[in-house]
This record gives sequence, structure tokens and C-alpha cells, in this order.
Amino acid sequence: MAAKDSSATPGFAPRIQVFEPHRASLPPLIPYFKEFWRRRVFASELAKFTDKAEYLDSKLGKVWLVLNPLLLAMVYYLLVTVLKGGKQHNGITTLAHILIGLFTFYFAQTCITSGAQSITSGGRLILNQAFPRALLPFSSSISAFQQFLPTIPVYIFVIVVGKFFYPSTQVPGFTWAFIWVPLVVALVGITGFGLSLLFATMNVYFRDTNKILQYFMRIWLYLSPILWQPEMFHGWHRAVIYLNPLGPTLSATSHIWINGQAPTLAEILGMFGWAFASIVFGGYFFISRERDFAVRI
Amino acid sequence: MPDDLAIRIEDLSIKYKINVDTKRTLKNALMRASKGERVRMRTVEAVKHLTLDVPHGSVLGIVGANGAGKSTLMRSIAGILPPTEGRIIVNGKISTLLALGVGFNPALSGRDNIILGGLASGMSRAEIEAKTDEIAAFADLPDGFIDMPVRTYSSGMYGRVAFSVAVNMTPDILLLDEALSAGDASFKEKSFTRMRELCNEARTIVIVSHALATISELCDTAIWMHKGTMLAKGKPEEIVDQYLKFLDVGTLPSNFEDM
Repeated sequence: MAAKDSSATPGFAPRIQVFEPHRASLPPLIPYFKEFWRRRVFASELAKFTDKAEYLDSKLGKVWLVLNPLLLAMVYYLLVTVLKGGKQHNGITTLAHILIGLFTFYFAQTCITSGAQSITSGGRLILNQAFPRALLPFSSSISAFQQFLPTIPVYIFVIVVGKFFYPSTQVPGFTWAFIWVPLVVALVGITGFGLSLLFATMNVYFRDTNKILQYFMRIWLYLSPILWQPEMFHGWHRAVIYLNPLGPTLSATSHIWINGQAPTLAEILGMFGWAFASIVFGGYFFISRERDFAVRI
Repeated sequence: MPDDLAIRIEDLSIKYKINVDTKRTLKNALMRASKGERVRMRTVEAVKHLTLDVPHGSVLGIVGANGAGKSTLMRSIAGILPPTEGRIIVNGKISTLLALGVGFNPALSGRDNIILGGLASGMSRAEIEAKTDEIAAFADLPDGFIDMPVRTYSSGMYGRVAFSVAVNMTPDILLLDEALSAGDASFKEKSFTRMRELCNEARTIVIVSHALATISELCDTAIWMHKGTMLAKGKPEEIVDQYLKFLDVGTLPSNFEDM
């Protein structure tokens, strides 16, 4: 052991590692989370590199990330206006509601769909190295967040221009309600990450999960208060919103960005509840089956 | 565990379940469930009650037919596949080359893949960046390939980069599974030299190979695995001889029958 060079820096794994059978199919959790935290740079760099690879060839590539939901929002807006029979009298308020809802939904959707593929497409990496596998879906969530960020200025730009042409558009101005935005975004991210753990695991066992997921996400979009207003439902019908993992968040998002109102207590409880439920259930489902990944990929 | 041991394996057994359905899809599973059939699973007992000590600074070779449990054993030493029973104690930083390829994104350059590989193994960005040039120099790809997408690489070049990453991470324990078959003769020579250097620095190497000459040349101990159990342990030449006889005759030597 004379030749231990300086490579034994604190950055490396502990000197002595003991591998023992997992209890109740869960690895020892404290070392797991420690390792997860220690290698978080790997997740963020992987996100950066993956994005780089994706948009290596086209400079317009990244623009599509914003353009795609923007155009889709326009289509939905036209659809909604036509269905409602002609002109809206609130300027582009409906468009604003669809836009911010769609951008937020897309954030969660990207977390889930790209996270769901992260394990099956991480084959070599999983066969070759031991690391907390949850880092791979986590990396997808980081990437989804980075794609979500630029949509906020785009939203603000559209609304400011819209207000200029249609003065009747409802714009909240600067209110204290906006301090809720980071929390709401974080909770969307946590919910998305939690669910991505669930679907990433399912995708290892059933390789068509990803295909089914596309339809599932589409239906989920229609069931969410994006193309319709959360105020459409009253009394116990409001359960439709709270049974949806993204319902409270989307409802709160609309209230903040359109009305300039802080989220209601019910919305706050709903958001936290779903974020907690997703991360705990998804996390358990994922971590307890992690050992299987190396033999099933 | 004694200080001079790099790896201690105590009564290790590894089992895992595999799904033997050809189509592993949700649709298929639902169809089955609707017919009341169960998913066809098979339990593989890849390693059975294996006990082994590997001292620091030694080179251990593992030989055995396909399905002997060699790769599973390597994966469990690396911590990728935790034991079903028993215990593995590893003293030192592990570097692995178990599935060929650094294996990230074929659209990224070799250099980017090296950085990602280092980060996944737990190095910091600064540590791996300091090593990247050394790794690239060792892989010695033809002009400029290291900065080109990995998808443009030949399989030999791919293997070179992967091997170079594994041996240049200054591992205490290096696990190589069929890693030496990729390069050409001159790269193989270079790899051998590098591995001897590692040994001289008291680092430990475990090699799985079907190239028996490699085992005889590099290792100071060898084990022969057969259907999950360790049949023999000893000097590489002897183990290779026994194994070759077995391959020739197709039956186990009589003195192993009771194992």
C-alpha cells in the first residue's frame, strides 16, 4: 500500500466498501443519498452534455424548445376560441392562461418522458459503474428545468405585446403573489422527478411504457386546467383538480400569473401533497428495484 | 479484514430473476394477465457460495465457460449487483471496464465521454479534466478523433478509449472483463505494460478473459469458475491447463466431481 498517491482525495468513494444483501430490497439509504448528493455534479453535467449533443447540429434547435409550446398554445387558443363561438372579450387573457399552463405542464412532461427513458438508454453506464441510479432521471429533470426557464421571459414578452394591442387583456402588474413562483416551479419539478422515477422503473420492465406514456400525457393535458379554467368547477366537482398531480400547481400558476393572486391554502396543500407523494412513492418504487436494472437492461 | 487484502469475498451467492418472455411489453403483460397466465420468470443462480481473498498488488485471472458467473462476480465486486447472500469487502477505489465502451452518448466527442465517465465514477470536474489529456494521449487515436463524435469511431478505437479511461483513473482495484480483445497488437503491448505498472504500484487487478494466454502471462493467481462455483484456484498455468483439458474432453476432472 506504499504507492497510494494523492488520488485518495475526499472526492472519491470511501476507502473500504462493504456490499451486503439489501434489506427489504432497499440499499442502505443514508449512504445512497450521500452518494447521490456527492455526485450531483455528474447529473448536471450529464444534462448539459445531453442538451449539447441534441442541439449540436442546429442553432435553431434550442429555439424550437420555446417555439414548439408557443405554436401549440396558439393552436389550442384558436380551438378554444372557435369552440366558444368567436371573439373573446378579455383580449388575450385566455391565451395567457393557456400559455403559462402549457409551459408549466411541459416542464413536468419533459421531466417525466425524458426521465422515463434515462435508465433504458443509460445501458452501458449502468452495466459499467456503480452509482445511485436515480441520478439519471434527476439529470433529465435538470435538463427539463433548463428548457423551462427561457419560456418565462417568452411568456412575459407575449403578454406585454398582447396588452399593447388588446388593452382589455388582464395583466396583474407587479404583486407580492409572484414570490410564490419559485416555490411552485420547484414543486412542479419535484412532482415531475418523482413520477419520472416511477415511469423509468416501469420502462425497464415494460419497454412499451414510453409509447403508452405519450398518450397518457396527452390525456393528462386535457384533464388539467390548461385549456379550461379551474373556476369552471364548483363544489365537490373541484376534486377533478385535486385528484390530478399537477392540478393544484396549474391552478395556482394561473392565479398567480393571470390574477396576481397568491395560491389558496387548498392549492398549497395540494401542491405539497402531490410533490411529497410522487417523490416518496416514485423514489421507493425506483430504489427498491434498482438492483434489477443491471440484469434487465 | 486484514490490511493486505484488496478484496474479500465471504460465502457469496448471487441470484437474480429474468423475464423469459420474448416481448417485455405492458401490452404483452396485460394480455397474459387477461388469460390468467403468469409472467414466465426464471431465477438465475449466477454465483454459488464463493469465498475468495485477493491481496493487494496481485493480478487475479478468472477463466470459465460462458454462463459460469464470471461477469456477475465482477459486477458484484464493483458494487453494481449487490449480493443475495454473503458479503464482499473492497478496500480501495475501483475502476471498471465491464461492458465495453465508455458508453454515454454516441453524439458526443470522445473527450466529453471521458469527462462524463469520470464524473459518474465520483471524480470532481477538476480532477477528471486534469486527467483527460493523459487519457486521450494513452488512447492515442488517429489525428483529431478524440474530439469527434464517438459514433464515428471504429470498434477498436472505442475499445482503446474505454480501456484508457479504466487504467488511467489511478484505481486501487481494476476490474477488466474481456477488455483486452479490442486493441491491435501494439495497443495490447501498451496495455500490458500499463497493467504491470499498476501492479508494481501495489494496485490490484482482476481479469476475466477467454484469451488464456493473457491469463497465463499477466496473472499471478487464477480461478476457474463453472456454473457459479469456483472449481479450482492456483497458479495460472495449472488452472489454464486444467480448463483446457476440460474444454477438450467436455467432462470435469474426476477430483472435482464432488464439488
